[in-house]
Amino acid sequence: MATPYRTIVQATDLTKTYMLGKVPVEALRGINLRVEIGDFLAILGPSGSGKSTLLNLIGALDKPTSGTLEIDGVNVSTLKDNELADLRRNIGFVFQFFNLIPRLTALNNVELPMSIAGVKKSEREKRAEELLEMVDLKNRINHKPAELSGGQQQRVAIARALANNPRFLLLDEPTGNIDSKTAHELIDLIKKLNSDGVTIILVTHDQHLAREAKRTAQMLDGEITSITVN
Amino acid sequence: MKIRDIFGYSFSAIKLRKLRSGLTILGVVIGIAAIVALLSITQGLQSSITQEFTTGLSADTLTVTSGSSSGFSGIVRSGTGTASSGFKLYVNYTQDIVGLSPGIDSALAVIQRNGYIRSGNITQKATIIGVDYSQYANLYSSTFVAEIGTIPLNPLNDTIVIGQQVSDPSQNGTVLFSVNSVAQILWTNTLSLPLRNDTYSSQVAAILKPIGGFNVGGVPSDSGVYIPISQAQSFFGTTECDSIIVKLKTSDQTTIDNVSKVITDYFGNEVTVQSATAVLNTMSTVFSTLQLFLVGIAAISLLVAGIGIMNIMIVSLMERTREIGVLKALGMKSRTVLSIFLCEAVIIGLIGAVIGIASGWGLASLVGRGGLGFGPGSALTNGSGFAINPVLTPTVFLGALAFGIVVSIVFALYPAWRASKIRPSEAMRYE
Repeated sequence: MATPYRTIVQATDLTKTYMLGKVPVEALRGINLRVEIGDFLAILGPSGSGKSTLLNLIGALDKPTSGTLEIDGVNVSTLKDNELADLRRNIGFVFQFFNLIPRLTALNNVELPMSIAGVKKSEREKRAEELLEMVDLKNRINHKPAELSGGQQQRVAIARALANNPRFLLLDEPTGNIDSKTAHELIDLIKKLNSDGVTIILVTHDQHLAREAKRTAQMLDGEITSITVN
Repeated sequence: MKIRDIFGYSFSAIKLRKLRSGLTILGVVIGIAAIVALLSITQGLQSSITQEFTTGLSADTLTVTSGSSSGFSGIVRSGTGTASSGFKLYVNYTQDIVGLSPGIDSALAVIQRNGYIRSGNITQKATIIGVDYSQYANLYSSTFVAEIGTIPLNPLNDTIVIGQQVSDPSQNGTVLFSVNSVAQILWTNTLSLPLRNDTYSSQVAAILKPIGGFNVGGVPSDSGVYIPISQAQSFFGTTECDSIIVKLKTSDQTTIDNVSKVITDYFGNEVTVQSATAVLNTMSTVFSTLQLFLVGIAAISLLVAGIGIMNIMIVSLMERTREIGVLKALGMKSRTVLSIFLCEAVIIGLIGAVIGIASGWGLASLVGRGGLGFGPGSALTNGSGFAINPVLTPTVFLGALAFGIVVSIVFALYPAWRASKIRPSEAMRYE
C-alpha cells in the first residue's frame, strides 16, 4: 500500500456498565480494538453482545466506564460535552432506524449536519445535492422521508452521514430494516465508498454482510472473541 | 449553527404542529389583546376626561373648599358638604380672600344643591348653582357664554341661566326650556324638619352653548341651572357656600403655591385649596392606579398563556427526544438545542404579541366607537356626549411586544433546559 496506515480508533481495555434500574449491566468488558484509516470492519454478534454499545462509544455518543478510547488520537473520556459534540461532526453515523427528521426533505436532512457545523446555505445545498446524486437519489431530493422507501431512506442517511467529510463512517445494522435486494445494493454502495477511501465500521448480525468487510470482529457477552481478516 | 438556521429549524417544528402551536399562540393573543385593549382604552379615557376637565377648569383659578381633606374629595363633593370639624365657608369670605394676596384678582362664592327643574308636568334633576353672573362670566369667559338669550349682569331674583342639556335633555332638538319660558325650581329643604319641598317660579334668561365636561367644583356645565347668588342664599336659607373660586392674576406655579398657602393659613388649615393643575395631577394618579390594576388582571391571562407554552414545550420535548438525540449525534451542541427551543418560544410569543396587539387595538377601537355600548351615542354615554378615543402609544406597543416575548421565553426556559440535557445515547434508545 502506498499510503501509510494511521490508527483512527484505538480502544484499550474498554468497559461500559449501564444501570438498568438498580441493576448494573456490564455491556462491554475489556474491549481492545484498533481501526486504521481505510479499514472496513464488521462487528458481528448476537443481540445483547454489546456491539451497539461499542458503536455508540466509537460514535462519541457516550463515554466509557473505564479503559481508554482514542478517536483520531484524542482520548474521549477527557472531552467535555461541547468538545464531544465537535468530535461527532467528524464521525458519520448511520442509525439502524435511519433517524431522518420526518418534516425535512431529503435535501434538508443531508444539509442538517452541515447546518449544525455552520456551513453556508449555498455551499451546503451544493454538497447535499452532490451526495444525494452519489447515492442515486438525485430525483428524490425534495421528498420527505415518509415518501421514500426503506432503502432510499437508508441512502439519505448515508448521504447525511458523509455530509461533513467524516473521518469514518459508522453503520448500525445497515441491512436490518431493508429487503435483500436493497441490501445487496447497499453492500455495493458501502464497498464503493470504502474503495474511495472512506473508513467503515459497521455492526451487524448478518453473516453475509460481515463477510463483505475486510475484517470481522466477533463479539459475545461484551467481549471481542476473535478478529478475522476476510 | 447560524441564528438564521436555528430560526428556520424552530419554525419548521412549529409549522408541523399547526393546531397545537395555533392554540398556544391564541393564549398569548388573548393575554396581549386584553392588556393592549385595556391600556389603550384607559389611556383614551384619561385623555378624554382630562380634556373635558380642562374645558371647564382654568389654570389661573383655585378652588377653596372647607375641610382639610386632600385629594379628590374636596373637588368632587357637591351639595351640602361640611367639614367634620365644624368649619364652614361663608359667602362673605370672598371679601377676606381678595385682600389676602396681591396675586388674587377676584373671588367668587358658589352655592350648589341637587334639585329639580320643572316645566308643566315634566320634572328633571338638575344641579342648582348660585353664583354672581358677572363674576362667573368673567372667570369662565369661554364656557359661561349664552348661545340663546343674554346672561344679565344684574339679574332679577327669578332669573335663571341653564345649561344646554337642561334645555334639551335628550339631545335631539326637543327643547323643554327655551329663553323666556317659565320654570319651577324645586329643592328638598334639608334644613327643615320634617323635610319640605321648596319651590319658586323662575324665568330662563339664557341657554349656555354646549360645553362638555363634568360638573365639578362649580365650573360651568351642560347640566347646570344657574341662579343669582343672592337668590341662592335666600332660597336655600343659608349664608354658607360650598366653594370659593379664586381667580389669580397669573397662573405660574409660584403664585399658585403662594396664594394656596396664604389662604390655607388664613383659615387655619380648615380649608382645602385645589388648583386645576393639582386636580389634573390627582386624576392622573388615579388613572395610573386604575391602569395598573386592570393591566395586572390582564397580565394574569398572559401568565396562563405562559403556562400553556410550558405545557406544549414539555409535550413537544417528550415527542422529540429521539430527534434531539439525532441532532446531538450529528454534532449539535447543548446550547444550540436550548436555542432551538427558546426560538420556538420567541416565534410563538412574537406571532401572539403581534396578533394580540392588532386585536387589542381593534377591540379598543370598537369600544371607542360604541360598538360595545360604551362609546358616544350609546346608552351609557348618551347623557354626557362623551367619547373615548383609544390611544395606542409606542410605549404600549413595544411594551406589549416585549412582554409577550419575555413571558414566552421565561416559560420555555425549563423545557428548553431539559431538552439541552438530553443524552444522545439514551435518546436513541427512547421509543
